[in-house]
Amino acid sequence: MIAEQKGTTSVTLYSKIKAYGGYTLFAPAGGDHVYLIDMKGQFVHKWKLPYPTIGHGVLLPNGNLLLAAKSPSGPLTELEGTRGELLEITWDGTVVWKYEDPYMHDDFCRMKNGHTIVIRWIQTPADIANRVKGGLQGTEREGVMWCDSFREINPRGRILWEWFGYEHLDPEVDTICPLCSRSEWTHASSCVFLPNGNILTSFTRINTVAVIDKATGNIEWRWGPEELGHQHDASVTESRNILVFDSGVHVPWVEMGYSQVREIDITTNKEIWGFRHDPWVAFYAPCMGNCQRLPNGNTLICQGDTGRIFEITPHGETVWEFISPFYHSSAVYGRNNMIFRAHRYGYDYLGLKGAKFNL
Amino acid sequence: MSIAWRSPHSVTIHNQSKAYPGYTLVDPMHTSDVWLIDMEGYFVHRWKLPTIPRNHGVLLPNGNLLYATAAPITESESERQPLPKGWGMGAGLIEMDWESNLVWKYVDPYQSHTFWRMENGNTMILTAVVVPDDIAARVQGGIPGTEESGVMWADGFHEVAPDGEVIWEWSAGDHLDPDIDIMCPLEIRGDWIHANSCVVLPDGNILTSFRNTSTLCIIERATGNITWRWGPGEISHQHDPRPLGNGNILVFDNGGHRPGSTISYSRVVEVNPSTDKIEWEYKADPPESFYSALISGCQRLSNGNTLICEGQKGRIFEVTPDGEIVWEFINPFYAYHPWTSYFGCSNLMFRAYRYEEDYEGLKGRKLDPKDLDLVNRIYGPVAFRE
Repeated sequence: MIAEQKGTTSVTLYSKIKAYGGYTLFAPAGGDHVYLIDMKGQFVHKWKLPYPTIGHGVLLPNGNLLLAAKSPSGPLTELEGTRGELLEITWDGTVVWKYEDPYMHDDFCRMKNGHTIVIRWIQTPADIANRVKGGLQGTEREGVMWCDSFREINPRGRILWEWFGYEHLDPEVDTICPLCSRSEWTHASSCVFLPNGNILTSFTRINTVAVIDKATGNIEWRWGPEELGHQHDASVTESRNILVFDSGVHVPWVEMGYSQVREIDITTNKEIWGFRHDPWVAFYAPCMGNCQRLPNGNTLICQGDTGRIFEITPHGETVWEFISPFYHSSAVYGRNNMIFRAHRYGYDYLGLKGAKFNL
Repeated sequence: MSIAWRSPHSVTIHNQSKAYPGYTLVDPMHTSDVWLIDMEGYFVHRWKLPTIPRNHGVLLPNGNLLYATAAPITESESERQPLPKGWGMGAGLIEMDWESNLVWKYVDPYQSHTFWRMENGNTMILTAVVVPDDIAARVQGGIPGTEESGVMWADGFHEVAPDGEVIWEWSAGDHLDPDIDIMCPLEIRGDWIHANSCVVLPDGNILTSFRNTSTLCIIERATGNITWRWGPGEISHQHDPRPLGNGNILVFDNGGHRPGSTISYSRVVEVNPSTDKIEWEYKADPPESFYSALISGCQRLSNGNTLICEGQKGRIFEVTPDGEIVWEFINPFYAYHPWTSYFGCSNLMFRAYRYEEDYEGLKGRKLDPKDLDLVNRIYGPVAFRE
């Protein structure tokens, strides 16, 4: 059961002049609500969910919340990032669309045409799985190595397009981290439909951010091995760079444990901007987190493991910070205030037009 | 700064009825002072050291401070650390009296991490050795091709007499087994085992810890053989095993590069070396709220409590056997490492030691916070009270 811990809460830092004004959306792990807060940390809106869950949502331009939720039961619920249901919920809490798939995990993406791309687990054929390098020997899940697919569905749930990872990944190149189990090959953790129609994703287990050509299915850009440590989120900035939340776990040699936000020029594969704390270990979220480039050039960061959302300037100055007061207990993570992801919506965001806030 | 780095410093928790009273050695790695604090967090003694940075020190029964420096003791080129920086390497040992006068020094540019002052007055040290090429080629694990200029290093022990003579030595290359002592796949092959601990047991054997193979070992002094090995699959990149009165071994399981887990947490475990079973553990709730991938240590106190140094966070805390935190101290001294950027401005401590009030090394010593009044006003417990 989730409980709000009084006094440990909310916005701890806010520079009105430097922060990007708007509303921040987050779903406390283990809770049955999704919250929207203003810059002062006031809860201006909340959505009630049908059951306590771990997931995350986005506010659509039509004002609805689209949420991936971990349904209470499913075939792979012990794997990290299990979802199971996509729910579209109106401002006043009515579920207007629902898509069930017990193999869905992590992220999703609503396209402009109203279709949705979901990430789902599929089994890697044994002959391919046997050729995949890396991972801890003999740790397949009941003999199976799970892989990822991206599936495009229309509002009626009809499958319009599907990409199967094992058809395009290379067992020689896409190598599993040697400290991870072979239960999964790639573990896609994010999904962005790019303006040119391609798909940007992040394969956590192989430390790779990739762009998939939607027409051919080919992986047309790959970056990350030897650079990343089980990154969790990749998005694209206005200047068409890739912004990555690099969790920083299982990093070769440097094992001290620190996360980074990194902006990569896709044409040169060079890091052109980055953020880490001083001391480095003060910002660390090995299991969940995301980052979002804001219109004023600041970056919103969700340090998921410790329930912290903060905003930094391009110079790395923290100008807004929120610590989640919502705690729940889980067998794996203990008593925690984790947040999978957070998103900031500017005051002029289309989906907030005419919204009635509870103040 | 994150909330952790804005939180109070000095002593933040003190349960007088449950904590084990005494003085705690506060030993920030990147500043030039070593301190003793009382249970309330008042500074009661200060040693001023000639070198920065260092690994850690101990208070000897004679009241002297013996510590392992990580910086050259003199400016002489011959004493400079020949190994790559940042390997937890040292440069030698320095012993100073209560008034910070130099009593003894031992220079060895290959010395690393720590040491053990033996009852006969000799000192056991850890020192880096080169692994013969034919053995190095057979070592499994590590990142391929990351030998250090083609060389794989490992560790040895030297027993050093007070006059500096090495009277006994042991070299890893002679006794380790490439088929058993397998490296973590994410460590560099320039550093096979990365020994980080050195304890001479009452029977003369040596208890040590190899970080890069996640293994604790007991080395038989007479033969040099490794008579006990434990760790792979149980602990990861551990530090500071210490023998307990009941025959068990207490160790800080750092948890860096933990196989099969991306959840990052440390724990302290007590293992029975005759059964290889873990008989006690301390793990925080949530587990990730206690994590130091590097350095760190643990000490079992006479009342059964355990003092834990979460080194990377500059935190020393004491837990009861039930895991209740009854004392906590956050190091208020921050500094940059002189040549490594990745620690940032931090308050690291390699290890912590609690000395009880009647400890021999404290006999007859004046331990009055008033003698360090200015320091206590700026960094003492009162300074951090709201």
